[in-house]
Amino acid sequence: MKMYSSPNSLIRPLDSSHSDRITRAFRATAALLGTAAMVSLFSGCATSGVQNPNGVPVTQMNPDERGFVAGTGVESQDMVSVTDKMARSILGNPQIAHAPNAPYIVLQPVENETRFPINKEIFLTKIRIALNTKAQGKVRFLDRSEMASLENERNMKRAGQITSSSDPGLQEFKGADYFLTGTLQGMTTRTSAGTSDYILYNFRLLNARTSEIVWEDAAEIKKQGLEDAAYR
Amino acid sequence: MKYNWRLLLACGLVLGVAGCESPPPPHVVTMTGDPVTDGEAMLAITPEKDKLLTQCETAAIAMDRGRFPEAKQLLDSAIARIGGIYGRDKTAQQARSYFHAESKKTFIGEPYERVMAYYYRGILYWMDGEPDNARACFRSGEIMDSAADEQDYGSDYVLLDYLDALATAKLGGDPKDTVKRAAEHAKGHPLPPLDPKANVLIFIEFGVGPVKYADGRYREQLRFAPGSSPVHSATLHVEAFSEDIAGYDDLFFQATTRGGRAMDYVLEGKAHFKEGTAIGGEAAIITGAILAENRHTEVAGLAVLGAGILTELVSAATKAAADTRRWDNLPRYLSFAPLKMQPGQHVMTVEFKDRAGFAIPILTKTITFTVPNTADKVLFVSDKSASPLTL
Repeated sequence: MKMYSSPNSLIRPLDSSHSDRITRAFRATAALLGTAAMVSLFSGCATSGVQNPNGVPVTQMNPDERGFVAGTGVESQDMVSVTDKMARSILGNPQIAHAPNAPYIVLQPVENETRFPINKEIFLTKIRIALNTKAQGKVRFLDRSEMASLENERNMKRAGQITSSSDPGLQEFKGADYFLTGTLQGMTTRTSAGTSDYILYNFRLLNARTSEIVWEDAAEIKKQGLEDAAYR
Repeated sequence: MKYNWRLLLACGLVLGVAGCESPPPPHVVTMTGDPVTDGEAMLAITPEKDKLLTQCETAAIAMDRGRFPEAKQLLDSAIARIGGIYGRDKTAQQARSYFHAESKKTFIGEPYERVMAYYYRGILYWMDGEPDNARACFRSGEIMDSAADEQDYGSDYVLLDYLDALATAKLGGDPKDTVKRAAEHAKGHPLPPLDPKANVLIFIEFGVGPVKYADGRYREQLRFAPGSSPVHSATLHVEAFSEDIAGYDDLFFQATTRGGRAMDYVLEGKAHFKEGTAIGGEAAIITGAILAENRHTEVAGLAVLGAGILTELVSAATKAAADTRRWDNLPRYLSFAPLKMQPGQHVMTVEFKDRAGFAIPILTKTITFTVPNTADKVLFVSDKSASPLTL
């Protein structure tokens, strides 16, 4: 059979075998496209874009454990290990351990010289708590953070504005025997191989009368990590 | 084998057009018109990968409006994320694969953007009377800028070093090395003398930060353009005192002087793969079609044609485009002016000027502030700041 579209057409007549071949090729291409579409349907769409679709449950951890969220900075496990070490070390100091009367200690702010902004007071708070709970009264702490309120209270007692259970005229605020303070110092290296952070935690006890350092100890921690290449 | 090819083709087309299951309807955030509140609300519906970007942009708006507690909270979250990207990261792994775009990764910004998160947080720490933590932020900022291709351009922020030195001097340390480094980088702009007794610290910024765009055949090259802004300089007036303010740091300069990223090589590889598969697929389709014309090579031709189509599909699915998400409300120039002032209330005016040096009146800011007796007074002013402000 011959096929003509029109007498003047530019389409040349096709023989039946040629026409069949084209039809078969078209069918095969359609089959391929259909298969590709189905493959893409089943392989591509099911889970794309959803991370942890069921969420991640809250994981309770001990503060001295290294969590799965970590950087190279100061973390809770560092604080726990450093402060425990310092508290034990202070109690091992002969001037504290064998003092005839429990010395009074005032906490002075810690200076942060690292590259990590931190809540510095947390170190001294943790040391104070450890000493107060474990030292069985071998050291005592004076709280100077509330001095304004304490002075105001005392002045009101002295003025007779409020009652007093003892003679308000007496000076009863205690003076410090020692100051406890510290410094956090750091050193950072960052190259294409990663970031390395070394932190030296240094604490010392100063004699308030003589400025002598009666105790000093340090802990050091080094961490390093490397970001995924996508962030470098 | 007999099969209904029309039905098969129709199925294929329907599936192709219909694609995947429709995404779930978006969550709705009721806008209040307050950009800080709205930005914070948007965080709830922002995809995890873009959260840091929203936090940073909202923090910058909060800084401009003098809403520092909100800025602090947002920047703390951002910094925790920036400082915690170590090791295996699923989104970063995906971003490196052929079939996912770089923008799939969790946004932590280019180094100049990370630096700014630390810079703003440093200012806020200083406002809270914690110069050592402020210094920690400035130091982290310099670390974010380190490891550039050319050593001269790594850790070269003038202000970060100068502020580190000033904080060190105020804390009784030795700032000599750091201030020397700052002076070396401050090409052409003499720094204010380092005076630990300066008690009013004015942070000024102006202009529009770098604009990211993707270049290359497959948009695989990350490029930066300077942001467009009429502001080119500023003048500070505090009562009888006036001073022209120079931009010590230029974020466009910082963005463009770091050299290549490791990710650029990954994207280049993706682009080569995309190009190779596209050329290969095209050649296979043409070859297959020619072979299929011939009775003797028809089957082989069809196979080559099919392979060509699949290769073209693979090429089309390869995503080589660079990630152009950007912290879009950053300034271009960062500046600083330390002053010694008597305790009490004062009024400061900052004029922002165009290229010709004429003040742009609509951008002039008036700030009333009170200098305390002992601590430093830290002020933050940008050409986008609300005015008048009382700080």
